[in-house]
Amino acid sequence: MFERRLYHHIDWGLITAVAALCGLGLANIYSATGGWTGIVQTQISGIVLGTIALIVCLSLDYRSLADKSHFIYIAIVALLIYVLFFGAVRGGSRRWIDLGPVNLQPSEFAKAALALVLAKFFGESRRWSVTRVDLLIAGALTAVPVLIIARQPDLGTAVTLIPVALAIAYVAGMPMRLLGTLAVVGVLAAPVAWKFALQDYQKERVETFLNPEQDARGAGYQQIQARITVGSGGLWGKGFNEGTQGQLRFLPVAHNDFIFSVLAEEHGFAGVLVALGLYLFVILRALEAARLAKDRLGAYLVLGVLATFTFQVIYNITMSAGLAPVKGLTLPLMSYGGSSMIATLAGFGLILNVRMRRFTN
Amino acid sequence: MSEKPATEWRATLKRRLAVAGVVFLAWTAAIEARLVYLQVVRHEELFSRAERQQMRTVEAPARRGAILDRGGRVLAHSVEADSLYAVPTEIDDPDRAAAALCGALEDCGPRDRQGIANRIRRGRAFAYVRRQVSPDQAKRVAALKLDGVGFMKEDRRFYPNKDLAAHVLGYVGIDNRGLNGIEAAYDSLIKGRAGTVLIQTDARRQAFSRIERPPTTGSTLELTVDQYLQHVAERELRIGVEENRAAGGAAVIMDPRSGEILALANWPTFNPNAYREAPTDWQRNRAVQDLYEPGSTFKVVTASAAFEEQLVSPNDPIDVSAGQIRFGARVINDDHRYGVLSFADVIVKSSNVGAIKVGLRLGPERMGLYVNRFGFGRATSPDFPGESPGIVWNPARLTDSALASVSMGYQVGVTPLQMAMAVSAIANGGELVEPRVVRAVITDGTRTAVPRKTTGRAVSAGTAATLTDIMERVVVDGTAKAARVPGYTVAGKTGTAQKVVNGRYSQSEYNASFVGFVPSRNPLFTIVVVIDSPHGRNSYYGGTVAAPIFQRIASAALRHYGAPPSISAAPPLLVARREEPLTQPTAGPAEMPGQVPAIVTLAGAAPGAAAAGRASLVPDLRGLSARDGLRMLAALGMTARLDGVGVVVEQDPAPGSPIERGTQARLQLGRVGATHASPLPVDTGP
Repeated sequence: MFERRLYHHIDWGLITAVAALCGLGLANIYSATGGWTGIVQTQISGIVLGTIALIVCLSLDYRSLADKSHFIYIAIVALLIYVLFFGAVRGGSRRWIDLGPVNLQPSEFAKAALALVLAKFFGESRRWSVTRVDLLIAGALTAVPVLIIARQPDLGTAVTLIPVALAIAYVAGMPMRLLGTLAVVGVLAAPVAWKFALQDYQKERVETFLNPEQDARGAGYQQIQARITVGSGGLWGKGFNEGTQGQLRFLPVAHNDFIFSVLAEEHGFAGVLVALGLYLFVILRALEAARLAKDRLGAYLVLGVLATFTFQVIYNITMSAGLAPVKGLTLPLMSYGGSSMIATLAGFGLILNVRMRRFTN
Repeated sequence: MSEKPATEWRATLKRRLAVAGVVFLAWTAAIEARLVYLQVVRHEELFSRAERQQMRTVEAPARRGAILDRGGRVLAHSVEADSLYAVPTEIDDPDRAAAALCGALEDCGPRDRQGIANRIRRGRAFAYVRRQVSPDQAKRVAALKLDGVGFMKEDRRFYPNKDLAAHVLGYVGIDNRGLNGIEAAYDSLIKGRAGTVLIQTDARRQAFSRIERPPTTGSTLELTVDQYLQHVAERELRIGVEENRAAGGAAVIMDPRSGEILALANWPTFNPNAYREAPTDWQRNRAVQDLYEPGSTFKVVTASAAFEEQLVSPNDPIDVSAGQIRFGARVINDDHRYGVLSFADVIVKSSNVGAIKVGLRLGPERMGLYVNRFGFGRATSPDFPGESPGIVWNPARLTDSALASVSMGYQVGVTPLQMAMAVSAIANGGELVEPRVVRAVITDGTRTAVPRKTTGRAVSAGTAATLTDIMERVVVDGTAKAARVPGYTVAGKTGTAQKVVNGRYSQSEYNASFVGFVPSRNPLFTIVVVIDSPHGRNSYYGGTVAAPIFQRIASAALRHYGAPPSISAAPPLLVARREEPLTQPTAGPAEMPGQVPAIVTLAGAAPGAAAAGRASLVPDLRGLSARDGLRMLAALGMTARLDGVGVVVEQDPAPGSPIERGTQARLQLGRVGATHASPLPVDTGP
């Protein structure tokens, strides 16, 4: 199954960058949560388990995985439904399966599962272009987990599934006109959604994003604090473990959603440049893996996995810089979160997998 | 559709990936720009905003150092007091809270209550309810157990002796800052260095307190002031002012050699514990802030200049037979006609005409030089905030008429302290010594003495000795006989100066003053007494108003310091008390010349005689101090009840009545000078 020569095609550069980001994240979690705590330990076990998941995903041929993608997909959907009814409740939403010492968040794994199933769907399509029927089917495949996750409710994670579908459809040749139409519909739908779909707290978030100082103690608080945190770091930062904004909990969930702000505070613009450079490297390297992929399946699989990753990176950093409404989206590889870490590393396993097997038949 | 699948999908992929890559890079560029904006352009602003919300620097006030007298007795110290504060956000009903607090404080009216309620309503995180409350009030408020009301320790300045040395000490504001006197002049030393406590608060307002710099206790000051002499000076000054129905007065006791101020008294005075209730007029340190025209006391300067310049010698005749001197329309008179006087007698009898004649011979330049040499026209010492430098005219501009005025102590403005410094120069052999109030600074247990500071020589030792001689005669047979202290030689000079009221020299308002030192040949004390606007029975002369006060202060001071008598002829009382050798030979005001008959009587009925068997008659106790009177009665087996302050002026049973052992006598105490003072030779100076 794992041939020796494949070993020589492993993208060690990508692995190094990913490991560096994990380490950077771990350091910032350490300082944001005040030292050697259970949170740091959980993150480490997340990284360890994620590495195992990465090796597993690397070892199995992505094609055989894709062959079984419908089983994986169904299994995940089943898990999501199970969580909906029997999941552990935390913070008002049902997202987790309580496994004793660990809690598993199936929605994180839905991303990779969706990428697999959509890559197989588009990649092994016999037609050379994407039809509306294809798009409808793909849309339906996406909508099922999205809606279930949204019901948990976990709108943040639900939204991260959409880039998977869009990216794969996009590179599979979805007509640009259709993409444009979708964009127009989205814009038109926004006011309607504003009126009917969004909850009050969600509206509030958008409003405070547009004018955070209007409610500095309430909803605009996080955004202002994020800005203060990033800005107070300056060029060189306050130094490791010296970030007061995060440590004194002015910045809420600093080790989670706002880990990038913590990095910006403690290591300044210099540290931010390093992290951004690593992300840039990882993303461009993965794009290259997609470009080099031996078949469509591989390319789409890489892009599907990469899309949700990139979407989160962009959104989270934009939010940390105070340029996007605060939404509970983590920064993959750096934020605290066991399931997210495992799922992300598993995703990188798939990406490495595709690149590694670009010469095999 | 397309028949070239292998390249088709890859071409699409590559094209679209390129687009996505460009979009991604554009985002990267945008976010970098944003980060540069936040972290470089707005860094300062956001950094300080972070600091502001996380840290509050709270001053940890330092304990203020104490102020001691020269014997280490506490004149001022700081005690901890509770201050009451409220956290307004935790109080729902300010009015009710204010009412409850007022009930517990017990001493606040409706306006105070309204004020408290308003402060609570307006404040957010902190509002003072009442600062520095008494322990009882604090206890009662604590018993209320109100939410959002807390205590904090604050230092409060306490002056245990109340108004004693109030003007020297000054006082401290509620924020622990010295506002007057030594408290202000040495504030930076006494107050110590406040520490800073850096309080970091997290988003839930929990505080991680971390002391950055602990406060250092301020230095303790040891003053030159002697608490006892200060008390005596204040008491005698007050009595003198009241007796003479004067507007106020000042008295200074100074060690002429070291410049140490042993006492500095002003009347009216105030209680620094409650300085806010005292009118500012009472808080004025007259001894260093009030300018007065010194009048005849200033002739000492004129004479010093004349001797130093060898213009005259003490025995040179000065013709003052005209009794007046004329400058254009201005005529200056002597009070008496003297004929031809020696220059020494000009000073002793305080002849204006004689002083003016010598002053004119000196000329404005030399006169100005000596006025300057004696330290007039400039502040004497940094120990007194708000000290007046005085007014001295430029000698070049002095007309003859003006020079004549200066020669007899007019047209110059001096402070009592400047006068004390000038006279001290004569007392100590000619050296101008800076007066000072701080004797030593004690920091962290290390005592650093403040050195004596001289600012040059005013006159030669010879001139000083000549003047001392003349000033002794002033007291012995001149204008200041009331200043005689039995057993000691006294040198002094009286001054009686018209005050300027509404731009004219008044015919009814005078400054009566006396300057002198004692014992004159080996001086321990320079004493200056200035009484403002006396209107009492003793008239308004320096010799009748100020000299007796000098006498009382001087005798108490000499007794307190155990100074050996400088005149060998002992007063009669000393003979009568042979068997009590340890007792100081002086008995205070009892030995005033006017009281000699009483003492003679006493000598006849001395305890020695009583013990010899003539115990059947009550002795005459009049003129004795209360203590001596009680001691004598006790020896006769009697007790006594005392009324009043001072020496015995009346007694019951009367002298000479039979003694009934075990009975209680009544001794009426009073001030001899006040009741029996006979008119004394008057000061002739205007």
